[in-house]
Parts: sequence; C-alpha cells; structure tokens
Amino acid sequence: MSASPDIPGRPSGREPSNFREFLSALGEPILYLTRTFKELVEMFGLTLYYMARGRTRWRAIFEQLHEVGNRSVIFIAVTLGFLGMILIYQAGYQAEQITGDLQLLGGLFLQLLLREFAPTITAMMIATRVATGMAAQIGSMVVTEQVDALQMCAAPPVDYLVVPRFIATTIMMIVLTIFAVLVSYSAGALTALLSFGLNVRTFIDLSFIGWFDLILCLSKALAYGMAVPIIACHAGLNVSGGSEGVGRATTNAVVNASLAVVILDFIITSLGYVALSLLPS
Amino acid sequence: MIRIENVTKYHEGRVVIDDVTLTIADNTNVGLIGPGGCGKSVLLKIVCGLIKPDKGRVLIDDIDVHKLKPTELAELRFRIGMLFQNYALFDSMNVADNIAFPLRQAGETDEELIAEKVKQALIDISLPGIGERYPNELSGGMKKRVSFARAVIRRPPIVFYDDPTAGLDPVTSSKIFILLRKMQHDHNTTSVTISHDIEGIKDICDRFAMLDRGRLIFEGDRPAIEACEDSLVSQFWQGYSDDELNV
Repeated sequence: MSASPDIPGRPSGREPSNFREFLSALGEPILYLTRTFKELVEMFGLTLYYMARGRTRWRAIFEQLHEVGNRSVIFIAVTLGFLGMILIYQAGYQAEQITGDLQLLGGLFLQLLLREFAPTITAMMIATRVATGMAAQIGSMVVTEQVDALQMCAAPPVDYLVVPRFIATTIMMIVLTIFAVLVSYSAGALTALLSFGLNVRTFIDLSFIGWFDLILCLSKALAYGMAVPIIACHAGLNVSGGSEGVGRATTNAVVNASLAVVILDFIITSLGYVALSLLPS
Repeated sequence: MIRIENVTKYHEGRVVIDDVTLTIADNTNVGLIGPGGCGKSVLLKIVCGLIKPDKGRVLIDDIDVHKLKPTELAELRFRIGMLFQNYALFDSMNVADNIAFPLRQAGETDEELIAEKVKQALIDISLPGIGERYPNELSGGMKKRVSFARAVIRRPPIVFYDDPTAGLDPVTSSKIFILLRKMQHDHNTTSVTISHDIEGIKDICDRFAMLDRGRLIFEGDRPAIEACEDSLVSQFWQGYSDDELNV
C-alpha cells in the first residue's frame, strides 16, 4: 500500500505516514501469526475435547485411514525408495573416495533414517498430498454452506470433520514412517549391493540403533501426525470468498503444514539431544 | 420468542447489519424481504448463532444465543431447523442419510424408526424412492425439497427458510410454498422466511420485515405493509420501480 497525499483522509506529511506504514507492515504479519497460532491451539484443544467426550464415528475414521494411509503407500514408497537409493549412492561414493571402507554405511544410514529422514520426509509428503485434500474438501463444504448446515444439525464441525482426520492422520503417520524406514533401507541395501558390491548382511547393521533413535523417530511421527491435520482443517474451515478462497486455503495448508514440520523437527531434535546429554553415559 | 436487539455487523469496514431491532412472537411467521445484498441472510445467520454480531444481542426464549458455550448452542439448535439458500446438502451422503442426519445427531439410534421417518418425509415432499440418490443427481427443485425435509425432520418449533424458491420454476416454487404452509399449519412453527417471491410469501407469513442496506425500514402485518407510504417498501411490495431504465 503506497502513501499518497492525494488520497483524502490520509495524513499529509511523508514521515508520519511512512512510519505508520512501517509499523503496520511490521505488526500485521505478527498479529496474523499470533492469531493463527492461537486458533490452531484452540482447535487442537477442541479436537482433544471432542475425542474424549464425543461419539466415535468408526466409519468416518476408517474412511480417513484409507484416504491418508492406503492411498499414500505408493507415493511414500516411491519417494522414500528413491531417497534411500540417492543417499546411499552419494554417501557410498564419498566414503569410497575418502576411506574406501563401506562397512559403516548401512548402520549410519539406518540411524539417519530413524532420526531424521523417514519421519520428516514422510510428513512432508503427507502434508503435500493429504493436507491439500483436507483443506480443499472442508473449504468446499464451507463455501457451499455445508459446514453451516452441520452446525444447524447440532454437529460441531471440529467433532464431525476434524476429529476423524486427526485420529487417522496421527495413526497413519506412525505406520507410514515405519513403512518408509523399511522401504528406504531396502532400497539403500539394493543400491549398496549393485553399485558398490556391498553385501546385504554387512549393510544391515543395527549396532548404531538405540532407544533414543526409536523414541526420536516415533515422537516426530506422532507430532507431525497431529500437526498436519489440525493445520489443514484450520485452513479449510477458515475459507472465505468462494472457489478462489478454497485455492488460497489449499496453498496455505501445504505451506503452513510443511513449515510446522520443519519447526517441530527442530524443536524435537533439540529437545532430544538435550535429553540425551542429560542421561548418564 | 425471538428478540433481535440493536444488532450491528460490520464486514471489512462496511456496515452489513445496522442497529436492527426486531421481535418475533411464538407461532408467528415472518417474511423477511429486501433487495439483494441488504443483509437478510446475514441477519438470519446471526439469529441462529452462525455469525457473531459486532454489537447487540439475539435472545431465543430469553437465552442469549451468542453467550452460549458450543455444547449449549448445539442443544439450542435441536430446536431450530434451517433451509439454506444453496441447499447445503452433504455431498458425501445420499438423500436418505442427508434427511436422517439431524435425527442421528439428536441421538436417535433406532434405524428402523429413522428409515420410516425418512420414507414418510420423502412422501411428504413428493419424492418417494429417491433415498439412494446422491445430491449431484438431483435437480435444483428436488434439492430444495430434500433440504426442506432435512430442516424439518426433527419437527423443530423454529424454522428459518433462506430464499426457499430462489432459482426455481413457478410450479416448483408453488410446491415449496405449499410445504411451508403445511409445516406451519400442522406443527405451529415460528418461522422466518426470506424470499423475493412476494406473491408466494403473502400467503404464508403473518408479519413482514424489510431491510435496506442493513437497516430495518419496515416491520408490521400485511395491511400495514400494503398501506405503507414509504416508497421503497411499497415499490418492493408491489414490484415496480419509479426509476427510468437506462439501457
């Protein structure tokens, strides 16, 4: 928004106007972020409340489990499979150039997969595929007054629309993360065998894996599984302005869900390492 | 009794509802009229708690709608039915499940009883045997009638109809008005009907209220609106304009 002395009602004098605009430009995104964060926390609280107090709609939950889980299997398998192959090829090539010893490749790769790649990349993929679908579906229901109709039938939208998606995504994020570890590790093992002649028995090395790795992996999957549907459903329920608004909501859903995954990754990893350093060696 | 007290609503800095005060007595059928975009649908959504007003309050049987907790509001809505302007049928459900939805939400678990009520509702709206069809397989008039059946299946004492005949042919419109009249006659409902079909609502409403640019400019019964000297009200009621048409 540009300052113009020709616009009636605008204060004359360039400096106060610019200063006000600067403050406005600074404050607006902060207010937006604060408001959105507050709404997300409220929606998370309401979701937990309805999970505890509401009726469990098994049919809706199974439909969402199928939508989030079964329909993502191939997508996750291809993405994580290729990622496993690329990582092992790159790491193996570097190791061969520097030390020529590939014996630790499989063990360290598994640790990296569990701690970082499997939960985070899976969540990113779910954010891309599932969050957009959720935001678009709920957003369309908002613009066609179906969400208003739900409320008039005494069905709270959070209970009816968010809870099944929340439960299904949380469960399936954990399941898909475990699946991603298996696929990616298998693809890595195959690449190591074909590219570097590394024996599969040598590649499969669990000696680097401890409780810390498993807990970190599952904690991340759990946190992402809860964050992605809340962000997607929030974007869908706050649609305004017809089909254009639905488009904006889907974009917001995927951007915000991906950002949330990265931020949660940072927080959980930091907390994990702090906890690890406090443990007696 | 529904009491709308000094309700004001702004949208993006523009006043949409401007200090509206209106009382709707029990068993009264009010026709809410006014030019398109004057705030009728917004007012109706404020009354049933779907939109929060910026000023004023709405009391239904002395309960302030906008001060209720979500669970209390859900409880209140068991007593309210609403027919939406754009049908608002749930895409993911067939007709039978759409009509049965309010019953199931109210805690009805006897599926045989639900099926019986849905069957009767479909007969009442002259659409027997379409229970298995999905909303995208229906015409506009059929959707409107299904939406009507869903709004009244619980026999709520208060019903809001948001433009029940918008975009429908005269025969289907007439069928809708017959359904509305039957509902009022059989169940003594309190209702608010938004409509641009003045001839249609003349026969089903006891009182009329007119909005213009968010302000309530008339409220009274049929003789009062027919005798009203306000040019905007009389023009709208009689369906003519003093302005020349500039083509």
